[in-house]
Amino acid sequence: MGPLIPQGIISGEWNNVFALLIGVVFGFFLEGSGFSSSRKLAGVFYGYDFIVLKFFFTAAITAAVGMIYFGYVGWIDLDMIYVNQSYVSSLIIGGVIMGLGFIMGGFCPGTSVCGAAIGKIDAWVFTGGMFIGIFIFSEAFPLFEGLYNSDNLGSIKIYESLGISRAFFVFALILVALGMFYVTGIIQKKVKKVEY
Amino acid sequence: MNLRYIFFAALLVVLGAGLFFLPEKTNTNEMAPEKLHAELFDQTRYVSTDEVAERIINQDPSLFLIDVRTADYYAEYSLPGAANIPLEDLLSPNWEDYLTQEYMDVVFFSNGDIYAEQAWMLANRMGYKNFYIMKGGLNCWFETIIKPVKPESTASNNEFDLYKFRNGASQYFTGGELILSEEIVAEAITVTRKKKKTVASGGC
Repeated sequence: MGPLIPQGIISGEWNNVFALLIGVVFGFFLEGSGFSSSRKLAGVFYGYDFIVLKFFFTAAITAAVGMIYFGYVGWIDLDMIYVNQSYVSSLIIGGVIMGLGFIMGGFCPGTSVCGAAIGKIDAWVFTGGMFIGIFIFSEAFPLFEGLYNSDNLGSIKIYESLGISRAFFVFALILVALGMFYVTGIIQKKVKKVEY
Repeated sequence: MNLRYIFFAALLVVLGAGLFFLPEKTNTNEMAPEKLHAELFDQTRYVSTDEVAERIINQDPSLFLIDVRTADYYAEYSLPGAANIPLEDLLSPNWEDYLTQEYMDVVFFSNGDIYAEQAWMLANRMGYKNFYIMKGGLNCWFETIIKPVKPESTASNNEFDLYKFRNGASQYFTGGELILSEEIVAEAITVTRKKKKTVASGGC
Protein backbone atom coordinates (compact mmCIF):
# COMPACT_ATOMS: atom_id res chain seq x y z
CA MET A 1 0.00 0.00 0.00
CA GLY A 2 2.20 2.77 -1.26
CA PRO A 3 3.06 5.37 -0.28
CA LEU A 4 2.04 4.80 3.32
CA ILE A 5 3.87 1.54 4.02
CA PRO A 6 7.15 2.13 2.11
CA GLN A 7 7.38 5.52 3.80
CA GLY A 8 6.95 3.93 7.21
CA ILE A 9 3.81 5.91 8.01
CA ILE A 10 1.94 2.72 8.84
CA SER A 11 3.45 -0.68 9.46
CA GLY A 12 3.77 -3.44 6.87
CA GLU A 13 1.30 -5.71 8.68
CA TRP A 14 -1.50 -3.62 7.22
CA ASN A 15 -0.62 -4.72 3.70
CA ASN A 16 -3.04 -7.64 3.64
CA VAL A 17 -5.79 -5.60 5.25
CA PHE A 18 -5.53 -2.94 2.56
CA ALA A 19 -5.25 -5.60 -0.13
CA LEU A 20 -8.50 -7.10 1.12
CA LEU A 21 -10.27 -3.73 1.28
CA ILE A 22 -9.10 -2.67 -2.17
CA GLY A 23 -10.04 -6.09 -3.50
CA VAL A 24 -13.54 -5.81 -2.06
CA VAL A 25 -14.03 -2.34 -3.55
CA PHE A 26 -12.63 -3.44 -6.91
CA GLY A 27 -14.89 -6.50 -6.96
CA PHE A 28 -17.86 -4.37 -5.95
CA PHE A 29 -17.39 -2.02 -8.87
CA LEU A 30 -16.69 -4.84 -11.33
CA GLU A 31 -19.89 -6.55 -10.28
CA GLY A 32 -21.76 -3.25 -10.23
CA SER A 33 -20.68 -2.53 -13.81
CA GLY A 34 -21.90 -5.96 -14.86
CA PHE A 35 -18.42 -7.27 -15.65
CA SER A 36 -19.09 -10.55 -13.91
CA SER A 37 -21.07 -11.60 -16.98
CA SER A 38 -18.95 -13.21 -19.66
CA ARG A 39 -21.39 -11.91 -22.29
CA LYS A 40 -20.45 -8.35 -21.40
CA LEU A 41 -16.77 -8.94 -22.05
CA ALA A 42 -17.37 -11.01 -25.14
CA GLY A 43 -19.54 -8.15 -26.40
CA VAL A 44 -16.41 -6.12 -27.16
CA PHE A 45 -15.34 -8.73 -29.70
CA TYR A 46 -18.77 -9.20 -31.25
CA GLY A 47 -19.61 -5.52 -31.27
CA TYR A 48 -22.78 -5.41 -29.22
CA ASP A 49 -21.36 -4.00 -25.98
CA PHE A 50 -18.32 -1.78 -25.59
CA ILE A 51 -18.73 -0.91 -21.93
CA VAL A 52 -15.50 -2.72 -20.98
CA LEU A 53 -13.47 -0.75 -23.45
CA LYS A 54 -15.07 2.51 -22.36
CA PHE A 55 -14.63 1.67 -18.68
CA PHE A 56 -10.92 0.89 -18.90
CA PHE A 57 -10.00 3.67 -21.31
CA THR A 58 -11.87 6.21 -19.20
CA ALA A 59 -9.95 4.95 -16.17
CA ALA A 60 -6.65 5.17 -18.06
CA ILE A 61 -7.05 8.70 -19.41
CA THR A 62 -8.57 10.04 -16.19
CA ALA A 63 -5.74 8.54 -14.15
CA ALA A 64 -3.07 9.79 -16.58
CA VAL A 65 -4.37 13.36 -16.60
CA GLY A 66 -5.01 13.31 -12.85
CA MET A 67 -1.57 11.99 -11.97
CA ILE A 68 0.22 14.58 -14.09
CA TYR A 69 -1.75 17.43 -12.52
CA PHE A 70 -1.26 15.95 -9.03
CA GLY A 71 2.44 15.73 -9.76
CA TYR A 72 2.43 19.35 -10.89
CA VAL A 73 0.80 20.67 -7.73
CA GLY A 74 3.05 18.45 -5.63
CA TRP A 75 0.53 16.04 -4.17
CA ILE A 76 2.28 13.06 -5.64
CA ASP A 77 5.90 12.37 -6.56
CA LEU A 78 5.73 10.82 -10.01
CA ASP A 79 9.33 9.63 -9.77
CA MET A 80 8.40 7.33 -6.89
CA ILE A 81 5.68 5.49 -8.77
CA TYR A 82 6.59 1.92 -9.54
CA VAL A 83 6.61 1.20 -13.25
CA ASN A 84 6.55 -2.44 -14.30
CA GLN A 85 9.49 -3.64 -16.32
CA SER A 86 8.79 -4.40 -19.96
CA TYR A 87 9.88 -7.84 -21.16
CA VAL A 88 8.93 -7.42 -24.80
CA SER A 89 8.73 -10.98 -26.13
CA SER A 90 7.03 -12.43 -23.06
CA LEU A 91 4.64 -9.45 -23.13
CA ILE A 92 3.62 -10.22 -26.71
CA ILE A 93 3.22 -13.95 -26.13
CA GLY A 94 1.41 -13.38 -22.83
CA GLY A 95 -0.85 -10.86 -24.52
CA VAL A 96 -1.81 -13.33 -27.25
CA ILE A 97 -2.56 -16.07 -24.68
CA MET A 98 -4.54 -13.69 -22.52
CA GLY A 99 -6.49 -12.40 -25.52
CA LEU A 100 -7.34 -15.95 -26.61
CA GLY A 101 -8.46 -16.83 -23.09
CA PHE A 102 -10.45 -13.63 -22.97
CA ILE A 103 -12.50 -14.33 -26.09
CA MET A 104 -12.84 -18.06 -25.40
CA GLY A 105 -13.91 -17.73 -21.78
CA GLY A 106 -15.41 -14.27 -21.73
CA PHE A 107 -13.55 -13.38 -18.56
CA CYS A 108 -10.38 -11.72 -17.50
CA PRO A 109 -8.84 -12.98 -14.26
CA GLY A 110 -10.48 -10.34 -12.09
CA THR A 111 -13.95 -10.67 -13.54
CA SER A 112 -13.77 -14.48 -13.43
CA VAL A 113 -13.22 -14.34 -9.67
CA CYS A 114 -16.10 -11.85 -9.48
CA GLY A 115 -18.31 -14.19 -11.48
CA ALA A 116 -17.23 -17.19 -9.39
CA ALA A 117 -18.17 -15.30 -6.26
CA ILE A 118 -21.76 -14.82 -7.44
CA GLY A 119 -21.98 -18.46 -8.45
CA LYS A 120 -21.67 -18.43 -12.23
CA ILE A 121 -20.67 -21.91 -13.38
CA ASP A 122 -18.69 -20.72 -16.41
CA ALA A 123 -16.72 -18.47 -14.09
CA TRP A 124 -15.97 -21.44 -11.83
CA VAL A 125 -14.67 -23.42 -14.79
CA PHE A 126 -12.64 -20.43 -15.96
CA THR A 127 -11.15 -19.86 -12.50
CA GLY A 128 -10.34 -23.56 -12.17
CA GLY A 129 -8.61 -23.49 -15.53
CA MET A 130 -6.69 -20.41 -14.48
CA PHE A 131 -5.36 -22.16 -11.39
CA ILE A 132 -4.44 -25.25 -13.38
CA GLY A 133 -2.57 -22.97 -15.78
CA ILE A 134 -0.78 -21.27 -12.89
CA PHE A 135 0.18 -24.67 -11.51
CA ILE A 136 1.55 -25.91 -14.84
CA PHE A 137 3.44 -22.69 -15.43
CA SER A 138 4.98 -22.77 -11.95
CA GLU A 139 6.00 -26.41 -12.22
CA ALA A 140 7.44 -25.97 -15.70
CA PHE A 141 8.99 -22.60 -14.92
CA PRO A 142 12.59 -23.70 -15.75
CA LEU A 143 11.36 -24.40 -19.28
CA PHE A 144 9.92 -20.91 -19.66
CA GLU A 145 12.51 -19.04 -17.64
CA GLY A 146 14.59 -17.92 -20.63
CA LEU A 147 11.56 -16.50 -22.39
CA TYR A 148 10.14 -15.08 -19.17
CA ASN A 149 13.24 -12.97 -18.55
CA SER A 150 14.13 -12.10 -22.13
CA ASP A 151 14.24 -8.71 -23.81
CA ASN A 152 13.91 -6.60 -20.71
CA LEU A 153 13.65 -2.93 -21.60
CA GLY A 154 13.50 -1.86 -17.96
CA SER A 155 10.90 0.46 -16.47
CA ILE A 156 10.32 2.19 -19.75
CA LYS A 157 7.43 4.53 -20.39
CA ILE A 158 5.68 4.45 -23.72
CA TYR A 159 6.21 8.11 -24.56
CA GLU A 160 9.91 7.74 -23.75
CA SER A 161 10.30 4.77 -26.07
CA LEU A 162 8.44 6.63 -28.81
CA GLY A 163 10.53 9.72 -28.22
CA ILE A 164 7.57 12.08 -27.91
CA SER A 165 6.62 14.40 -25.10
CA ARG A 166 4.42 13.22 -22.27
CA ALA A 167 1.84 15.94 -22.86
CA PHE A 168 1.55 15.07 -26.53
CA PHE A 169 1.16 11.37 -25.80
CA VAL A 170 -1.53 11.84 -23.16
CA PHE A 171 -3.41 14.35 -25.31
CA ALA A 172 -3.29 11.99 -28.28
CA LEU A 173 -4.45 9.14 -26.06
CA ILE A 174 -7.43 11.21 -24.92
CA LEU A 175 -8.38 12.06 -28.49
CA VAL A 176 -8.00 8.44 -29.57
CA ALA A 177 -10.06 7.24 -26.61
CA LEU A 178 -12.84 9.75 -27.20
CA GLY A 179 -12.84 8.94 -30.89
CA MET A 180 -13.06 5.27 -30.04
CA PHE A 181 -15.98 5.89 -27.69
CA TYR A 182 -17.81 7.70 -30.46
CA VAL A 183 -17.11 5.09 -33.14
CA THR A 184 -17.97 2.16 -30.88
CA GLY A 185 -21.23 3.94 -30.03
CA ILE A 186 -22.11 3.95 -33.73
CA ILE A 187 -21.12 0.29 -34.14
CA GLN A 188 -23.19 -0.66 -31.13
CA LYS A 189 -26.23 0.93 -32.68
CA LYS A 190 -25.79 -0.97 -35.93
CA VAL A 191 -25.15 -4.37 -34.37
CA LYS A 192 -28.16 -6.39 -33.27
CA LYS A 193 -28.86 -6.02 -29.59
CA VAL A 194 -28.14 -9.03 -27.41
CA GLU A 195 -30.29 -9.48 -24.36
CA TYR A 196 -28.57 -10.93 -21.32
CA MET B 1 -25.96 12.12 -27.41
CA ASN B 2 -26.13 12.62 -23.72
CA LEU B 3 -25.15 16.14 -22.71
CA ARG B 4 -23.20 14.80 -19.75
CA TYR B 5 -20.97 12.71 -22.03
CA ILE B 6 -20.21 15.73 -24.17
CA PHE B 7 -19.35 17.78 -21.11
CA PHE B 8 -16.94 15.20 -19.68
CA ALA B 9 -15.37 14.54 -23.06
CA ALA B 10 -14.78 18.27 -23.52
CA LEU B 11 -13.39 18.51 -20.00
CA LEU B 12 -10.88 15.75 -20.69
CA VAL B 13 -9.81 17.36 -23.93
CA VAL B 14 -9.32 20.71 -22.21
CA LEU B 15 -7.37 19.12 -19.35
CA GLY B 16 -5.32 17.15 -21.83
CA ALA B 17 -4.52 20.27 -23.82
CA GLY B 18 -3.57 21.95 -20.57
CA LEU B 19 -0.76 19.41 -20.17
CA PHE B 20 1.12 21.16 -22.97
CA PHE B 21 1.39 24.25 -20.81
CA LEU B 22 2.55 22.49 -17.66
CA PRO B 23 6.28 22.85 -17.17
CA GLU B 24 8.13 19.60 -16.71
CA LYS B 25 8.46 19.45 -12.99
CA THR B 26 11.41 17.84 -11.40
CA ASN B 27 11.41 16.84 -7.79
CA THR B 28 12.15 20.02 -5.90
CA ASN B 29 11.38 18.68 -2.48
CA GLU B 30 13.80 19.84 0.14
CA MET B 31 15.94 17.31 1.88
CA ALA B 32 14.27 15.91 4.98
CA PRO B 33 15.58 17.55 8.17
CA GLU B 34 16.63 14.16 9.58
CA LYS B 35 18.74 13.43 6.53
CA LEU B 36 20.30 16.88 6.56
CA HIS B 37 21.08 16.48 10.24
CA ALA B 38 22.68 13.09 9.67
CA GLU B 39 24.81 14.46 6.85
CA LEU B 40 25.81 17.44 8.93
CA PHE B 41 27.37 15.19 11.54
CA ASP B 42 28.77 12.72 9.06
CA GLN B 43 32.54 13.13 9.29
CA THR B 44 33.29 11.16 6.15
CA ARG B 45 33.14 14.28 4.01
CA TYR B 46 36.34 15.57 5.62
CA VAL B 47 39.87 14.79 4.61
CA SER B 48 42.77 16.00 6.72
CA THR B 49 45.50 18.31 5.47
CA ASP B 50 47.96 15.48 6.06
CA GLU B 51 46.03 13.19 3.77
CA VAL B 52 45.86 15.87 1.08
CA ALA B 53 49.60 16.54 1.43
CA GLU B 54 50.39 12.85 1.16
CA ARG B 55 48.27 12.44 -1.93
CA ILE B 56 49.82 15.49 -3.60
CA ILE B 57 53.31 14.21 -2.85
CA ASN B 58 52.42 10.76 -4.17
CA GLN B 59 50.97 12.45 -7.26
CA ASP B 60 47.71 10.59 -6.80
CA PRO B 61 45.88 10.95 -10.13
CA SER B 62 42.46 10.48 -8.53
CA LEU B 63 42.83 13.64 -6.45
CA PHE B 64 41.18 16.77 -7.79
CA LEU B 65 41.61 19.87 -5.66
CA ILE B 66 39.22 22.76 -6.08
CA ASP B 67 39.98 26.12 -4.57
CA VAL B 68 36.61 27.79 -3.97
CA ARG B 69 38.08 31.16 -3.00
CA THR B 70 38.09 34.14 -5.33
CA ALA B 71 40.50 34.36 -8.24
CA ASP B 72 42.57 37.00 -6.40
CA TYR B 73 43.23 34.73 -3.47
CA TYR B 74 43.92 31.90 -5.83
CA ALA B 75 46.51 33.92 -7.69
CA GLU B 76 48.21 34.74 -4.40
CA TYR B 77 48.52 31.23 -3.10
CA SER B 78 46.91 27.89 -3.62
CA LEU B 79 47.72 24.24 -3.35
CA PRO B 80 49.78 22.72 -6.18
CA GLY B 81 47.58 21.38 -8.94
CA ALA B 82 44.42 22.96 -7.55
CA ALA B 83 41.78 24.34 -9.90
CA ASN B 84 40.00 27.56 -9.05
CA ILE B 85 36.20 27.50 -9.08
CA PRO B 86 35.00 30.46 -7.00
CA LEU B 87 31.95 29.64 -4.93
CA GLU B 88 29.93 32.31 -6.76
CA ASP B 89 30.48 30.51 -10.05
CA LEU B 90 30.07 26.97 -8.79
CA LEU B 91 26.74 26.44 -10.52
CA SER B 92 27.85 28.00 -13.80
CA PRO B 93 27.60 25.49 -16.65
CA ASN B 94 31.29 26.06 -17.44
CA TRP B 95 32.30 23.84 -14.58
CA GLU B 96 29.73 21.14 -15.04
CA ASP B 97 32.12 18.79 -16.80
CA TYR B 98 34.57 19.10 -13.94
CA LEU B 99 31.95 18.37 -11.32
CA THR B 100 29.89 15.61 -12.92
CA GLN B 101 32.34 12.76 -12.69
CA GLU B 102 32.61 9.64 -10.64
CA TYR B 103 36.24 8.60 -10.74
CA MET B 104 38.04 11.42 -8.97
CA ASP B 105 37.92 12.47 -5.36
CA VAL B 106 37.12 16.16 -5.50
CA VAL B 107 38.40 18.06 -2.48
CA PHE B 108 37.09 21.55 -1.83
CA PHE B 109 39.13 23.95 0.21
CA SER B 110 39.06 27.61 1.14
CA ASN B 111 40.80 29.62 3.82
CA GLY B 112 38.69 28.11 6.54
CA ASP B 113 35.91 25.54 6.39
CA ILE B 114 32.87 27.65 5.66
CA TYR B 115 33.13 28.27 1.92
CA ALA B 116 34.24 24.71 1.32
CA GLU B 117 31.27 23.47 3.34
CA GLN B 118 28.93 25.65 1.29
CA ALA B 119 30.45 24.35 -1.92
CA TRP B 120 30.07 20.79 -0.68
CA MET B 121 26.46 21.40 0.24
CA LEU B 122 25.70 22.82 -3.22
CA ALA B 123 27.49 19.95 -4.93
CA ASN B 124 25.58 17.50 -2.78
CA ARG B 125 22.29 19.13 -3.65
CA MET B 126 23.20 19.05 -7.33
CA GLY B 127 23.65 15.30 -6.99
CA TYR B 128 27.37 15.30 -7.78
CA LYS B 129 29.48 12.46 -6.42
CA ASN B 130 32.73 11.99 -4.51
CA PHE B 131 33.06 15.37 -2.85
CA TYR B 132 35.20 16.11 0.18
CA ILE B 133 36.29 19.04 2.26
CA MET B 134 39.84 19.68 3.38
CA LYS B 135 39.24 20.07 7.09
CA GLY B 136 40.49 23.40 8.42
CA GLY B 137 41.24 24.78 4.97
CA LEU B 138 44.41 26.64 4.07
CA ASN B 139 44.76 28.05 7.59
CA CYS B 140 45.09 24.54 8.91
CA TRP B 141 47.36 23.71 5.97
CA PHE B 142 49.79 26.39 7.08
CA GLU B 143 49.66 25.35 10.71
CA THR B 144 50.15 21.68 10.06
CA ILE B 145 52.01 21.20 6.81
CA ILE B 146 53.93 24.38 6.12
CA LYS B 147 54.92 25.25 9.68
CA PRO B 148 54.50 22.12 11.71
CA VAL B 149 54.88 22.49 15.44
CA LYS B 150 57.24 20.15 17.13
CA PRO B 151 55.41 17.99 19.59
CA GLU B 152 56.26 17.94 23.26
CA SER B 153 59.01 15.56 24.22
CA THR B 154 56.47 13.57 26.15
CA ALA B 155 54.29 13.07 23.05
CA SER B 156 53.63 9.66 21.59
CA ASN B 157 55.64 8.08 18.80
CA ASN B 158 52.76 8.57 16.44
CA GLU B 159 52.91 12.30 16.93
CA PHE B 160 56.63 12.28 16.25
CA ASP B 161 56.07 10.26 13.11
CA LEU B 162 53.42 12.74 12.03
CA TYR B 163 55.80 15.61 12.76
CA LYS B 164 58.49 13.93 10.68
CA PHE B 165 56.05 13.51 7.82
CA ARG B 166 54.91 17.12 8.10
CA ASN B 167 58.48 18.33 8.15
CA GLY B 168 59.16 16.40 5.00
CA ALA B 169 55.97 17.67 3.42
CA SER B 170 56.91 21.21 4.40
CA GLN B 171 60.19 20.85 2.54
CA TYR B 172 58.35 19.42 -0.41
CA PHE B 173 55.93 22.30 -0.59
CA THR B 174 58.18 25.18 0.38
CA GLY B 175 61.53 23.97 -0.88
CA GLY B 176 62.83 24.92 2.55
CA GLU B 177 65.99 23.76 4.16
CA LEU B 178 66.30 20.41 5.66
CA ILE B 179 65.96 20.65 9.39
CA LEU B 180 68.04 17.91 10.85
CA SER B 181 66.49 16.36 13.82
CA GLU B 182 68.39 17.33 16.90
CA GLU B 183 70.38 14.56 18.41
CA ILE B 184 69.37 13.82 21.89
CA VAL B 185 72.57 13.51 23.87
CA ALA B 186 72.21 11.14 26.66
CA GLU B 187 73.56 12.49 29.87
CA ALA B 188 75.83 10.20 31.76
CA ILE B 189 74.06 8.83 34.69
CA THR B 190 76.03 9.15 37.80
CA VAL B 191 75.23 6.69 40.40
CA THR B 192 75.99 7.74 43.89
CA ARG B 193 76.42 4.87 46.12
CA LYS B 194 75.81 5.01 49.72
CA LYS B 195 78.79 4.40 51.85
CA LYS B 196 78.71 1.14 53.52
CA LYS B 197 78.13 1.45 57.11
CA THR B 198 80.77 -0.09 59.26
CA VAL B 199 79.64 -3.43 60.23
CA ALA B 200 79.69 -4.13 63.86
CA SER B 201 82.63 -6.39 64.48
CA GLY B 202 83.14 -8.90 67.07
CA GLY B 203 80.50 -10.98 68.62
CA CYS B 204 80.10 -14.54 67.90
